[in-house]
Amino acid sequence: MKSKKKIEDIPFEEYLRKLENIVQRLEEGELTLDESVKTYEEGMNISKICLEKLNKTKKKIEQLVIEGEEKYSTKPFSEKKGENAINEF
Amino acid sequence: MNNYTESKIYTVSKLNKYIKKIFENDYNLQDIWILGEISNFKLHSSGHMYFVLKDKESQIRCVMFRGNSYTLRFTPVDGMKVKVRGDVSVYEKRGEYQLYVKEIVEAGKGELYLAFEKLKAKLKDEGLFSEEIKKKLPLIPQNIAIITSSTGAAIRDIITISLRRFPNLSILVIPSLVQGISAAQEIAKKIDFLNKHFKDLDFVIIGRGGGSLEELWAFNEEILARSIYESKIPIVSAVGHETDFTISDFVSDLRAPTPSAAAEMTIPDKNNLINNLGLLKSKITRAAKRNFELKTENINSLCRNLKYQGPENKINQYYQYIDEFIARLNSRIKYQVELYEERVKKDTQRLDSLSPWAVIERGYSICRKIDGKEIIKKLEQIEVDTKIEIIISDGKIFSKVEKKEAVSK
Repeated sequence: MKSKKKIEDIPFEEYLRKLENIVQRLEEGELTLDESVKTYEEGMNISKICLEKLNKTKKKIEQLVIEGEEKYSTKPFSEKKGENAINEF
Repeated sequence: MNNYTESKIYTVSKLNKYIKKIFENDYNLQDIWILGEISNFKLHSSGHMYFVLKDKESQIRCVMFRGNSYTLRFTPVDGMKVKVRGDVSVYEKRGEYQLYVKEIVEAGKGELYLAFEKLKAKLKDEGLFSEEIKKKLPLIPQNIAIITSSTGAAIRDIITISLRRFPNLSILVIPSLVQGISAAQEIAKKIDFLNKHFKDLDFVIIGRGGGSLEELWAFNEEILARSIYESKIPIVSAVGHETDFTISDFVSDLRAPTPSAAAEMTIPDKNNLINNLGLLKSKITRAAKRNFELKTENINSLCRNLKYQGPENKINQYYQYIDEFIARLNSRIKYQVELYEERVKKDTQRLDSLSPWAVIERGYSICRKIDGKEIIKKLEQIEVDTKIEIIISDGKIFSKVEKKEAVSK
């Protein structure tokens, strides 16, 4: 089951499932001492990855400007009505 | 300069009042039936209903007051073909004539509605709505796009709510027409464009705020439905109000009842996620700790067991066994000794009864030579004058043999 996928390619929910699985395995208490140390460390590592994934994306609000079939550019989005609600964030 | 006489100048309200009177005195405009399609229907909280009645070329504003509307057996909806009974009169405040409706009867379904039903059935048959082809949205979207009007409340609502739930989100806004004759095509083209140039998008929200059936119509057009169906990027349809269902809703991967709801449904609450992670983490720590404690307890109990099973205990057990064995041996020997003692006693008694003294007691006596203490059993052992002693039960008699005489038996 060990996949060679990169961390970025594995979705958050898969890590969350793994984490829940780890909790379950540890709570069942049927692991050997070695296994439970390893599982605990794996759980801590995964929870770190999860947090990193949550914080990975930078806030960005852009507007797409289509200039042709293949051409486009982006510019910061601002509402035409000039309300500032969005920029408060 | 002033060519009008005083009597020819009216105030606006007087004019409207006059026109109103003309309407109300014309019996061709009173208590009449009109056939048309309901549009822009609004039920006010007061219970009054406002809508537009129209056909292909024309329309008239209608109001149905609560006193009349409460008798209705159905809620009118946009696109519904109806027959309406009422009076035409003037709303003086605005100088607008309108139909004061007293009764509404359904007159078959509206044409837009029929078109909607027909396309819906067709696309459904083709499998465009099937649940199996619906794509799943990721739990943590990183990059999302929104195709909608850049001026409406919809875009503001979606962005505001999304960022409130997940502050670090990358949002791409694609402004688009959302109503009018070319809106469907424009949205479709933009979906295609995103599929070509922005393959990494997690999903695209298409939508707009509420409006009449006509205003939402772009989202009921086939060209947009096809584009949504072809899109490799998941599409979220967020059109109008909760009660508005469009073809886009059916073919999209997720239908949100409103644009705000689209944000609520697709963007996770980051704080919640972080709290959950924290909870899982503490669960793991607790479970691991408990595991260690359990293992320690296991070892302790094994140690106790080991001691119990160990040589010390075995030896003690053997000691006890030996002790018991000795005790058994002792009692056995004691019994044996008693048995022998009993036998000796019996034998002694028998011996006693055989002792010569016992015979002497009964009157027998022993006769011995004094010299040599030889017991005399036969005459030949002695001569006359031999000194003898006779032993009896309580002493001895000393005598001398005077005569020998044999006795024949």
